[in-house]
Amino acid sequence: MNAINLAPGKHVVVTDFDGGEGILVDLNTKKYYQLNETAMIVWKGLEEGKTMREIAADITSSYEVALDKAQVSVERIVDNFQTYKLLTAR
Amino acid sequence: MDVSDLKGMLPVDAVVVDGRPGLKWMDMSGVSLAEPFFQQTVERVKTTGNRRRELFTEFDVLLQLEKHLDSVPPTGFIFHSSRCGSTLVANACRAVPNSIVLSEANPIDNLTARFITDAGDVKTSLYSVFLRGMVQALAQRRNGNEKHLFIKFACCSFAQIEHIRRIWPNVPWLFLYRDPVETIVSNLNDVPPWLLDNDRRVLASIVGVSPAEVAAMSLEELCSRTIGSLFSTAQGLANANSMLLNYTQLSVPVISSVLSFFKVSHSTQELETIAGTSRTYSKQASGTRTFVSDTDAKQKLASNAVREAAAKWAIEPYQLLEQRRLEQTARCG
Repeated sequence: MNAINLAPGKHVVVTDFDGGEGILVDLNTKKYYQLNETAMIVWKGLEEGKTMREIAADITSSYEVALDKAQVSVERIVDNFQTYKLLTAR
Repeated sequence: MDVSDLKGMLPVDAVVVDGRPGLKWMDMSGVSLAEPFFQQTVERVKTTGNRRRELFTEFDVLLQLEKHLDSVPPTGFIFHSSRCGSTLVANACRAVPNSIVLSEANPIDNLTARFITDAGDVKTSLYSVFLRGMVQALAQRRNGNEKHLFIKFACCSFAQIEHIRRIWPNVPWLFLYRDPVETIVSNLNDVPPWLLDNDRRVLASIVGVSPAEVAAMSLEELCSRTIGSLFSTAQGLANANSMLLNYTQLSVPVISSVLSFFKVSHSTQELETIAGTSRTYSKQASGTRTFVSDTDAKQKLASNAVREAAAKWAIEPYQLLEQRRLEQTARCG
């Protein structure tokens, strides 16, 4: 799966909070999601049309984590976003 | 809903409609927030001129609006323990050109109360971003030249200052307070809505007891325990970014120092306007009643029940707060 084919849904609003964390609101379901700093990096990467590898590289530049582990995290977070129907095909 | 539908509108209350918590908006185009309290302005607009457009939205619209608004960031926060001169200070801030003063605005204080009544980790973050969005919505540059934003919170909101500071960690804040006996006498003479709130959860949280225990308390005890708790909070959290101010200190030079503390420069002429403001009774919208310090009168009116409640619940925190203020003053030279 390549994140470049996925984008944040237009029905989702995001806002930063507390440094790097964030809140997502799905305007269709009225559900709210609290994102930690890593999930916010992934969300912003998706907004910018980055690939999973590029997003993982962003994570490694902010945190002491190996690229392969960061990629696993990115894939898991993107899966979660998809499960909650927060992403749409680009 | 398209956020462009909200052009010219301000949130005027946080309400629950058909079980859905959200915001009541009203068309406030061309309306200056000139009255001592935000809700007085809303009432004026409702009762004069043409009927204004109103609508209800859920809170999430605040997040949608964030990216569209040109708003003034907060300059300073005014907190208080009730009936201690905070409206006078807010009015002085209003005398500074290009200022917006949000004085005990229901949408802000009702949303702040949700940190207590609807608690939880996710909800705390959620209400924090809603509160930030609410302030942005209320602080829109509607004339284009607004520079300063002062927010005077209702007294009970001070109990949530840690949440507020988490949203705006660098905004300087003022805490005003007064001798507890005089504060309780004033509140009992004209009982404010916060003391009579049927939803006892807010006061229960502040006082540290159950809502049922709050319901069983006399007004003297409830008021005394509430202000005692606010004094303790202020004493515990006062730091270099805060200013403690006793009612007895209120004067034009001191109000001028408050503005300087908020990093707001003001001219001699503006100081004269502020002096004029401080000579009138602060809570009356028309500004025609003269302000008279009533310390002696309040002390004479105090019943034994008031003195006992103050002695039991508020005097010690008040004295500790006074000590903290004097230490701060000494450090500032």
